Amino acid sequence: MVYFINDIITGALIGLLYSLVAMGFVVIYRASKVFNFAQGELVIIGGFIVWFTTMQAGLSLWLSIPLSLVLAGLVGYAIERIFLTKLIGESVFSMVMVTVGLLILLRGLVLLVFGPAVRPFPIIFPLKPLFLGDMLIPMNLLMGGIITIVAAVGLSWFFNRTRSGLRMTAVAEDHVVASSMGISVKGSIAFAWVLGAILSTIGAMIFLSGKSLTFLASDIGFAALPVALFAGLESIGGLILAGIIIGIAQSLTTNYLDPLIGGSLGSVVPYIIMLAILLIRPTGLFGWRTIERV
Amino acid sequence: MTYQTKRGLRGLLAACAIAVAASMPLKAQAETTYNLALLSDFSGPYADIMPVLAGGREAVFTWWNETRGKELGVKLNYKNYETRYDAAQVASLWPGIKSELDPIAVVGLGGPDVAALSERLPEDKIPMFMATASYGFAWKPDSWIFNPRPTYSHESAGFLNWMREQRGGDGPLKVAILASEASPAYVDMAKGLELYAEENPEEINLVEVIYTEVQPTDLTGQMRRVVRAGAEALIIQTNTSIVVAAKRGLQANGSNIPIMMSSHNGLPASGGALGGLDQLEGDFEAYGMAIAADEDTPARQFYETLVADHGLKAPWNVVTAMGVSQGLFVATVIDHAIEANGAEGLTGEMVREALFAGPITTEETHGFLPSLTFTPEAPFPLEGLKVNVGTVKDGKITIEAIGVDVPDVQKW
Repeated sequence: MVYFINDIITGALIGLLYSLVAMGFVVIYRASKVFNFAQGELVIIGGFIVWFTTMQAGLSLWLSIPLSLVLAGLVGYAIERIFLTKLIGESVFSMVMVTVGLLILLRGLVLLVFGPAVRPFPIIFPLKPLFLGDMLIPMNLLMGGIITIVAAVGLSWFFNRTRSGLRMTAVAEDHVVASSMGISVKGSIAFAWVLGAILSTIGAMIFLSGKSLTFLASDIGFAALPVALFAGLESIGGLILAGIIIGIAQSLTTNYLDPLIGGSLGSVVPYIIMLAILLIRPTGLFGWRTIERV
Repeated sequence: MTYQTKRGLRGLLAACAIAVAASMPLKAQAETTYNLALLSDFSGPYADIMPVLAGGREAVFTWWNETRGKELGVKLNYKNYETRYDAAQVASLWPGIKSELDPIAVVGLGGPDVAALSERLPEDKIPMFMATASYGFAWKPDSWIFNPRPTYSHESAGFLNWMREQRGGDGPLKVAILASEASPAYVDMAKGLELYAEENPEEINLVEVIYTEVQPTDLTGQMRRVVRAGAEALIIQTNTSIVVAAKRGLQANGSNIPIMMSSHNGLPASGGALGGLDQLEGDFEAYGMAIAADEDTPARQFYETLVADHGLKAPWNVVTAMGVSQGLFVATVIDHAIEANGAEGLTGEMVREALFAGPITTEETHGFLPSLTFTPEAPFPLEGLKVNVGTVKDGKITIEAIGVDVPDVQKW
């Protein structure tokens, strides 16, 4: 029974990590209605920035972490300025296609700049797990879970309670209308990309702490995708619940079903849940229902 | 200088130029060139080891061209093709490779190449030579794809039997496998050992087979199950990221169950990804090929020759050894084919026939591979199979065992 509860807790924490990465999807979507297919690549870029400042530049973690977040924000800003700002006012589809191109470009750039070698990622969180009786909780996931909840509460408040956040939501509704109301569309979208890149970097630190860094780590973007779609692409708070449900389902499947069937059903379960919920509720659990008046 | 001297010099230069120009086509006619298609992964899951592996195999072709090729009047030309370790990519590239290069042999990399080309190569009559161990799904008679090593499951079974003997006592060795469904080859590695354990319960007690992603999020829970089951060895023949995640999972559980890795995810690669070889103290790598340890072996001496005289820049490690052994495997078979058929008009079919005609001796591969005798029954030698075992002692890779017998593994 203890192990069962432990698996539920670990699953929930892994789910919260997915929620954090999915937050990057949602922040960019809420500000621009663009689904960023390159979210996993932003995680990699963030990971390499942390690796570079820590392992290459030799900075202490206290210095390298804030510096990495600032640099990641700058990368997000640069991406928006170079690739997306000129598309403001164009169809959302063209912006989405740019993110597909970005996925390929960023992956290629990582290979070009950093090379293909598998690198040791710095130990950001203690490797020693937390022991609660017979239960064992990985510290990176525990700290990550706390960070994710704090980030979700903060961002929910920002998007729902502040003028800047509400302006970003207005931008997502219609660029032209928002612009005519005096809202800086460019500024809102740029801010969303900065935020998305910073969230991805935090996700990279939790995901990769003490492990290895390669461009394969971008797969976490696809692992987070079901969480974002399950929650509904507009809901930051909903990501927490969606992440926990998907994480627990995945953990229980991995630990109890996979050994029986001799396969990896655990990696498919999040997508099954996502498809099931989308069949019942196409906007996801907490996605906005659009009411169009004709 | 007088006008006449200048004229004389010009005439002499012109005569020299004509002589050089005239001799060039003659030289080109004397040298027969054959093409090799090298399938590579510089941007996929093995991008980290590819430059080193490619360096090893290319250096051998350079060495062969400069030594044996010169004697025979044959040059081996090669070209790398980027496959991203993706079967679909290999399948789509193949028609272009064939028409562009018309190769007499393909130098393959891994499972996707086998999956994509196993049906095509017999039609095209071009053999493919691998560096890796073989696969259960490719274990068929009349193959056109050949591995110098038996299947990964043969290699792990050989290692586990050796480990059980080292442990002593009665009872089977408790073993867990960590694999991934990301590639058919990874699944295949696990399935073969599963079958062997099933058929030999007195040797191996397989406590669990765990499938995970190629970059796992966390394996603490999975490793706890392995520890609780009392596993004495953990087999990971997939990639370095899984080794790293498993090691962290074991460390979190306060366990030091020895991990056995293969050549492509071996001790140097996984140690590097963990931050140092010392992290893998007491873990193993096992495969049917020379161990790239510090000891002075014939393989090491040949590597030094390649570095000194033939431009090899890769470091001495298992990946370089894999590339060099593959290059030697291919070059030796072609050498045999030329001996049997002459330097002119060599075809892929002749190269394949040469493989069955006689053994490739360990001397011919400078100790990189054991003596190999191929038959049309399997894509790898069925007899005399051996594995070597390397480990980390005091932070250094050392040879733990050489020529460990590989047991009979049934087809799966």
